[in-house]
Amino acid sequence: MSSPSTIAALRSLVAAWNPPARPPSGVPTGVRAIDELLGGGLPTGQLTEVVCAPGTGGQSVLAQLLETTRAARQRVALIDAADAFAPEAVPLEVLRHLVWARCRHLTEALAAADVLLRDGNYAVVLLDLRDVPASALNRTPSTRWHRLHRVAERQPAAVAVFSRSGLVPAVRWRLELGGRRSLAGPRQTRGQWLEDLPVQASRGFLAEELTA
Amino acid sequence: MNFAVLLVPDFALHALRCSEPALRHQPVALIDGEGRKAVLTEVSPEAEGVTPGLAVTLAMARCPGIVLRPRDPTAETVSNRLLVAAAFSLSPRVEATTGGCCTVDLQGADPVKTTAALHERVAELTRLGLPARAGVGATPLLAFYAARCATPVLVVGEKNEFLQNLPLAFAGPTAEQAGVLDNWGIRTLGQLTALPKAEIGRRLGTDGVAMWERAAGEATRVLRLTPPAVTFAARWDYEPPIENLEPLLFKLRRFAECLAFELRGAGFVAQALALTLLLENETDYRREFSLAEPGTDVDGWLKVMHAHLETLKLPSRLIAAQLVATPTRPQVKQDGLFETGLRDPHSFWENFARVAAILGSDRLSTPVPSDSWRPDSFTLEKPAESVPAPAAPLVHPPRGGVLRRFRPPRPMLVVLENARPADLSGAVGGRVRTVAGPWRSSGGWWQPEGWAVETWHVELARGGVYQLVRTADGWTIEGEID
Repeated sequence: MSSPSTIAALRSLVAAWNPPARPPSGVPTGVRAIDELLGGGLPTGQLTEVVCAPGTGGQSVLAQLLETTRAARQRVALIDAADAFAPEAVPLEVLRHLVWARCRHLTEALAAADVLLRDGNYAVVLLDLRDVPASALNRTPSTRWHRLHRVAERQPAAVAVFSRSGLVPAVRWRLELGGRRSLAGPRQTRGQWLEDLPVQASRGFLAEELTA
Repeated sequence: MNFAVLLVPDFALHALRCSEPALRHQPVALIDGEGRKAVLTEVSPEAEGVTPGLAVTLAMARCPGIVLRPRDPTAETVSNRLLVAAAFSLSPRVEATTGGCCTVDLQGADPVKTTAALHERVAELTRLGLPARAGVGATPLLAFYAARCATPVLVVGEKNEFLQNLPLAFAGPTAEQAGVLDNWGIRTLGQLTALPKAEIGRRLGTDGVAMWERAAGEATRVLRLTPPAVTFAARWDYEPPIENLEPLLFKLRRFAECLAFELRGAGFVAQALALTLLLENETDYRREFSLAEPGTDVDGWLKVMHAHLETLKLPSRLIAAQLVATPTRPQVKQDGLFETGLRDPHSFWENFARVAAILGSDRLSTPVPSDSWRPDSFTLEKPAESVPAPAAPLVHPPRGGVLRRFRPPRPMLVVLENARPADLSGAVGGRVRTVAGPWRSSGGWWQPEGWAVETWHVELARGGVYQLVRTADGWTIEGEID
């Protein structure tokens, strides 16, 4: 049942039922491994989950994404569920395109996401759910995620959900970061460190695979 | 084109229906008097067979489902404010003539633009539940006649031609005068004004001359000008007190529309809204909504207020509410050729305000780190309308990981070996493998709130890099280097 041909046929069938709302296009993140895996960058019109355990480089990826979108003069919304973003950790110049929503709990974050996802002015919406208590995340009904999926489909923005463990159901791409921060060894620039960042897709497939 | 009149026929009835949407499509009549002496003054078109002046019992017999109500002075006041505000958008010289009637002095106005504006105002008032008509004429009286005949806007060009076939009742003859004129075979204003004014005066006296002048549309008068609104506020009471959001939102929309109309009429937009809810336990709840994009978009205002009110729990029932708009002049700007502005500024600022209502206005913005080494020191600024071109890349690109903060910093117990952290316990615990630091910084030492910190980076043996801070109060963990 789990043979590759069966899975491919099943995917083709599902894709025929749910055709993508718009042709896939991506917003480059500036992290080589992620952009290569996603075929150009974060896909627009859909949610992409980035699973990052502590110390695996999630915040570096987020900072790099801010830097890349800033260079492209694209507007970014960061919905920070745990209010953990440190503005002083990135250069001032990189923050000029950012709208930062500092939430106190998950409910606020999801409500803010619901509104900001409907706004067509953002190129990227980042929903950072790391360090939100697992009890709160487990209480979130799957209909909330389904709603965000549907909203994202109608908008030109790329949506990235940062989480500690696989969280978003029915997500097309779930990437797991495998970096390891250390004080020992050579002190690399952030760009150099991200060049070698191991990224693995625990779930997902390219749109081309569907048509293959 | 010297004067315009905005007129709402059956004004009291329409005002009542605006304040009670349940009456919109029902047969309704306003009554005057009490008991058996009560008579109908205004009747909605849905009440078939019922006419003004009919006794209440007869009206109920002819139309069994008819709703009979006395006049509602509060509803009439609100609706009249809307009408006056609409009039002020045409000219600053406005007279609130009677309830449901405004006279506007159009001296110096562009006739083409004014006619277009009248059509717009009438359409807006009709959308708000006040089916208005507008007439324009050389005198206030002529404009009033035109408004009575308009469908929905009428500009009187040739006066005699317009008056020719109007019924005599327009000139307001007394019963005695009407009888005499009827005997003479005079039925229209044109027939009356065809008679010499002096002969009318000899036969009907000075009252007859006044009537002739009214029939000729010549009677003029000085307008009693209404001062334009200086403050933009509305207050309404609930009797009995309310417990639900729905009646509050309904009234809120009604009064917001009124304020938006007044603001537009005065050439302003709202930059902030202050909502005060008066409670039954003699306390009040106040909340100010600063609008990121100043404007008069009532739907946008309501979305912002609704988002906040949905999450609000009050300790007592609501007896009254007040809404105050802070006016400002509308912003006028021109975008640069190469600017990457907002695709939809209206939507951006509306959504921005909605999220600010959910989180609080101090928790949504563009962060700007302060010019200080003080930990977690930054300010929030309003997002830029356009994303500026990026500056030249940094000469020294950032090295190491990026801090992810724990807010507030968590207290830690730190065991030192050779004056360096060696073992942690608290929010994060474990043996320290590698240490970097300390980096010492201080500031404001000349002030009471001076600060001094010592920052360390530690890597634990089990993995993970963290930022520790030592102050005079002890050790805290500021965040994770990720």
